Amino acid sequence: MRKTLSFLFSLWKTNLLSAMEYRVAFLLQVFGMMLNNAFYFLFWVIFFDRFEQVNGWALEDMFMLFGVVAVAFGAGTYLFGNALHLAGIIANGELDYYLSLPKPVLLHMLASRSVASSAGDFLYGLFSFVVAIVVTGEFSTGMLARYLLACVAAMAVVVGFLVLVQSLAFWIGNASLLTGNAVNAIITFSLYPITLFDGTAKLLLFTVIPAAFVGALPAQFVRTFDWASLGQLLLGAIVFLGLAIVVFYRGLRRYESGSAIQVRM
Amino acid sequence: MSAIQVRNLHKTFQTKRKAAGFGGSLRALWKPDLHPVEAVREISFQMEQGELLGFIGPNGAGKSTTIKILTGILHPTGGEASVLGFVPWQERQKLAYQIGTVFGQRPQLWYHLPAVDTFYLFGKIYEMEEKALRQRIGYLSEAFEIEHLLETPVRKLSLGQRMRCEVAASLLHKPRLLLLDEPSIGLDVVAKQRIRETIRRMNEEEGVGVLLTSHDAGDIEALCKRVIIINHGEIIYQDKVSALKRRYLTSKQVDVRYSNALEPDFAIPGVEMLKVGTFGAKLRFDVRETPVERVMAALASAGSLVDVTVSDPSLEEVIRTIYES
Amino acid sequence: MRVELTRPAAKYWAILRTQLQNSFAYPLDLLARSVTILLFLWVFVNLWRVTYGAMGSQRIAGLSLADTMWYLLMAEAVMLSKRDLSKDISDQVKDGSVAYLLNKPFNFILYHFAAGLGDSLLVFATNLLLGGALVWWLVGPPPGVLGWAAAVLAALLALLLDFCISALIGLAAFIAEEVSAFRWIYQKFLLVLGGLLIPLDFFPEWLQNVSRALPFAWIVYGPARLFVDPSAARLADVLLHQMGWLVGTGLAVALFYRWVVGQLTINGG
Repeated sequence: MRKTLSFLFSLWKTNLLSAMEYRVAFLLQVFGMMLNNAFYFLFWVIFFDRFEQVNGWALEDMFMLFGVVAVAFGAGTYLFGNALHLAGIIANGELDYYLSLPKPVLLHMLASRSVASSAGDFLYGLFSFVVAIVVTGEFSTGMLARYLLACVAAMAVVVGFLVLVQSLAFWIGNASLLTGNAVNAIITFSLYPITLFDGTAKLLLFTVIPAAFVGALPAQFVRTFDWASLGQLLLGAIVFLGLAIVVFYRGLRRYESGSAIQVRM
Repeated sequence: MSAIQVRNLHKTFQTKRKAAGFGGSLRALWKPDLHPVEAVREISFQMEQGELLGFIGPNGAGKSTTIKILTGILHPTGGEASVLGFVPWQERQKLAYQIGTVFGQRPQLWYHLPAVDTFYLFGKIYEMEEKALRQRIGYLSEAFEIEHLLETPVRKLSLGQRMRCEVAASLLHKPRLLLLDEPSIGLDVVAKQRIRETIRRMNEEEGVGVLLTSHDAGDIEALCKRVIIINHGEIIYQDKVSALKRRYLTSKQVDVRYSNALEPDFAIPGVEMLKVGTFGAKLRFDVRETPVERVMAALASAGSLVDVTVSDPSLEEVIRTIYES
Repeated sequence: MRVELTRPAAKYWAILRTQLQNSFAYPLDLLARSVTILLFLWVFVNLWRVTYGAMGSQRIAGLSLADTMWYLLMAEAVMLSKRDLSKDISDQVKDGSVAYLLNKPFNFILYHFAAGLGDSLLVFATNLLLGGALVWWLVGPPPGVLGWAAAVLAALLALLLDFCISALIGLAAFIAEEVSAFRWIYQKFLLVLGGLLIPLDFFPEWLQNVSRALPFAWIVYGPARLFVDPSAARLADVLLHQMGWLVGTGLAVALFYRWVVGQLTINGG
């Protein structure tokens, strides 16, 4: 465990060193993404200014929701940046490199890239969390601990879901369009008030597109503790990570490497 | 104990074919037209500890597929293999600590960083002691003459310099076996020569075994003691390099150009004149029958030489000869 | 003289057609690209159903729930179909291939416009068709023929206007190291000030005025609003604004492009 952590840290350090070769571009992307998120959030400010609330959700809930989702998504795709590129990596045979080195393939591959703009998402999420505290006036150390736990669990679901969907590339080859839709879907659904959706839709959001585990559920858990939410949160994280690992390694047996499949006929 | 043992290794890929247009796409969705391609067919061979073994064959012969199976990247469809006592596709991680790999077309150094940063990362990956790693980097950078390149971002290195760093990186953890897939691809003659020399030196000093694939017979000739020729997924020849040379790399082709006009009936005894023009000629001879010295002397006395090119038969010609015999 | 004029036009028309045929070659990709619009529309219908329910009124700012959904269909169709030229162009500026394209006998910018339009049109049609089917099923029949005609006309101009702004962003890669931030933020302007997520009519008065004064509304809001209210006055309003911005941004692109080419030929790319 300690060895694995120290290995991960040196990967992340190398990523950062690599990004620092292009400092200006890196910072532009980080701040650009923060600004981008802020402009998007403007929609909700305008919306709630006019309609005040939807099924019990108000602007302060949105601040908290963004606080969790942006941190989970940002941290997940910054620390495990290749989660966004897995389908292409499989289809182009780029797993060779990780397979020839003595570390767990999935972990090594995921952590070998940091997406600069994701750092912007992460920072924006922290900002949104702070705003939520200021607006509601609620704060305690317990809440901070819950926030940390919720973000980690949500991050596990995001990364797990991305790996799960893209591992399909082992079976169907190029899955980039599917991936695009899946990423769009989980981000879109996790950023809307869950109270908009009825029974069947909610079921979908806890299974096929597990957006509820990324947004609504953890956000609610941060504000008020209850054992049921905690259980669901942990269960979701474990199930999606577990599934991702199983499916990825299943697929790996079918991996066809690089130029070998480009047979000229 | 052998370093590598392979018996009846087999690998089949399924490739999909799709007819053009809308209908084709739809049909491929319901019922893909799968088409098996046998990349490796029932290959068997052995390699001893510390041996320098060459694997040659044209593009698409199955060299890379074999090497990828031996490193644990690909699972074979059938057959057995043991590398340093491990079954690669079952004990990939354990094996990885013992072997070094270089894939010529797949750089492992981080493109935007100086090579030394990747070296330190690799130290972590192979769980090396900080001090041992430092010493090792010092030793290898001297051996590969890359001291002055270590701090330069990899993207700014020439291909030859980069490849020297790549091979050095694969030796950091003192592997017992080095698997090199096309390490000289795209390099010029001088760079090729330097890489070959260093690999031979590491083999002599550390006893690291080297399995090398190439589609350039020159690599094998300069470096390996034994050679396996593979074509269409099958081994068509395996023997000592000296035997291969004696039997197949016997003919030389020479192109000459002169500043003066040649006699139209210009000929040298024991030499096949492929073409004789006014200011030049193309000829071929067998070094076992006609000594090189005699041919060169005859060419020099035929007029004032402007240019001479001597070439070995290409790999394709050697393979053709093997098939014919 | 007339021949001189029509020949170049034929060239760009051919580029557009080739790109269109290219989209036909991968029908499954086309369908996959349209999944996104279904996703968004489904979220929107939930959002606005709840919101209309909570307001307890049939109309908000003169729009019924059905109007809002058909508005959002047209808005999303434009947004999700348009090819992101800023990426194409900035990539070519960054990797230097723009220099090689300069000696081809076509205008670099017009080439991208033609190819972009060819790429967008078919996606636009599939998005309208699939999204329209969903919206019809959810909230009832679409607006009449007049709405379709006016909206499609305005959508074409909207695509061109978007191309001009995207070209400016793409060309900016020549001076700025990294333009993706500009691209994201432009998208967000379309999202919020353009009226992609919410009809501008729901905005407070002052913000409506700000939005109307900026080009973004005329890319998204213009065609979408015409779709559900194709009155002559609105048509004139939308088209005039679009034309005005097209002339302005088009001129800016032409000048900027000439300056970039000048720099390239002086510095040798």
